[in-house]
Amino acid sequence: MMARLRSRPLALIAVIALVVVLVVPITSLDGAQSAGVPLIANKLWFRLATIMAMFVVIASAWNLIGGLTGYAAFGNVAFFGLGAYAVGILVVKFKVPFFVALAAGAVVPALFAIVIGLPLLRLRGHYFAVASLGVGVAVGELINNTDQLGGSTGLFLPIIADDIVFFYLMVAAAGLTAGVTWLVLRSRLGYGLIAIRENEDAAAVMGVNTTAYKVTAFALSAGLTGLAGGIFAGWNGFVNEENVFAITFNVQMILMALLGGAGTVIGPVIGAIGLQFLIQGLSGGLAIPIPFLSDAVRAVVAQVVLGILLVVTVTFVPRGIVDFFGGTSRLSLAYFRRSLRETSV
Amino acid sequence: MTAQLELRGVTKRFGGVAALSDVSFVVPEGEILGIIGPNGAGKTTLLNCISGIYKPDSGSVEFEGRTISGMAPHRVARLGVGRTFQVVKPFQSMTVRENAAVGALFGSDKARLPPKAAFQRADEVLEMVGLAPKAGQRVGGLTIPDRKRLEVARAVATGPKLLLLDEVMAGLNPVEVDEALDMVRAVHRSGVTIVLIEHVMRVIVGICSRVVVLHFGQLLAEGEPETVLRDDRVIEAYLGQRYARRNRG
Repeated sequence: MMARLRSRPLALIAVIALVVVLVVPITSLDGAQSAGVPLIANKLWFRLATIMAMFVVIASAWNLIGGLTGYAAFGNVAFFGLGAYAVGILVVKFKVPFFVALAAGAVVPALFAIVIGLPLLRLRGHYFAVASLGVGVAVGELINNTDQLGGSTGLFLPIIADDIVFFYLMVAAAGLTAGVTWLVLRSRLGYGLIAIRENEDAAAVMGVNTTAYKVTAFALSAGLTGLAGGIFAGWNGFVNEENVFAITFNVQMILMALLGGAGTVIGPVIGAIGLQFLIQGLSGGLAIPIPFLSDAVRAVVAQVVLGILLVVTVTFVPRGIVDFFGGTSRLSLAYFRRSLRETSV
Repeated sequence: MTAQLELRGVTKRFGGVAALSDVSFVVPEGEILGIIGPNGAGKTTLLNCISGIYKPDSGSVEFEGRTISGMAPHRVARLGVGRTFQVVKPFQSMTVRENAAVGALFGSDKARLPPKAAFQRADEVLEMVGLAPKAGQRVGGLTIPDRKRLEVARAVATGPKLLLLDEVMAGLNPVEVDEALDMVRAVHRSGVTIVLIEHVMRVIVGICSRVVVLHFGQLLAEGEPETVLRDDRVIEAYLGQRYARRNRG
């Protein structure tokens, strides 16, 4: 049911990378700087690292409804936007402290998911995908055209904290999302959700309250996505329809979960980080020079590579990158080792 | 014996076609009841009306004195009605053991178990249906008879008081049918009332204490297997008027 990272060296590398990423920002603090520690975590570093953590949250949150439950939600960006707007409005119009408002950033989208989930989650397959996409677009347009909510100008938040605070906040949200997924997979809820994904009729006659389970997964997914939106609002300091209801977020979160391995804990994390490196590297965000390509061309190349990657993944490793390690794919290391063992008797 | 399941005038229409019309019968606790009838007689529709997948257009289904017609499938399951599907519906990405464990994790109210205990229960049930050696396998590699066994195992793991079996022996060879019969007997011995749809007459005669015959959605005959299978109307329904007449003469 779950592909696990069985490869020890790989797990070790992952842990070391995590520790490094968590320690590096400390070197940017004034104390460390005056002690002559070289500045690694500059403005660009924080930007990239926080965005990566943000995508880990939203890809992992999408995984709860899309990967575990098998409902292809195409409108999760609505929850991100609602979370961002809930925080923005509370902070700007009602002068609520940011960290208090953040709670609303998770609760408002979760409640919204329950309200729209009750009718929408009765739809199956493509119908649910299209309907959820519609909701995603509609919510953005509605907010964009409501002057009380900032309208097309958007909302400007005061400066709340340094980059380093938002970085740790986003990493904590990523940890929370992965932790929630891990817990869900080991609980009755997780087995119910996977049973629904595999065969909803069979799940129902075995006593799974399918509607309640689907709505729970949807609300969890929405709350965590909204939390990321709320943190983004405080960090970015500016919220409008274009930057928090971006349809590209929708596509990217799904791609990340699928590439990494939908339905697993670690898959969407790997997918989000890997894909962000690729997108940023190709399009120039990492400042890695690629000869003979202008910036405009690089942006196009990035899109083309993403497309090819998606096709290759879905064709050869439909269970995602995690399937390379200890998985069932013919491209996986474990499969390779097994067949070597079997042929070399 | 008290009536565990009671159907009163159950009718189900699909557009203009009456898949079931005015079907009434009673299933006492501890019985093995067979439902037979030609293709399209409404047997599976009947099970769907009992397990909550369909809501009857009129009439009622009562389980232990409580009306269950119109209830959602999961609520019927929680009251203690388990079922299998004629076209097996396994959870493909799970192992055999995990499939059975889902039954024990959910299922009837009295049998709901936390994850760890559910896996132990899954092992017991797999032992009962003879799937224990394949517990760790993924469903994809199972043969048809094993898939049918798994379907029964999952339903038994829900801890039902009443088990509805939809053609669990179709497509099995004679040896496999014998094994499946033993399996159903074992489940019955553990205290479960059984209603089964079957085309294999050896099964009907072998284990059913009573048989209900459906024909074009109507209850055609009811009684002991030997008597019912010799009934002219039943022979006619299965083999046509000419055969029935020749058989008589």
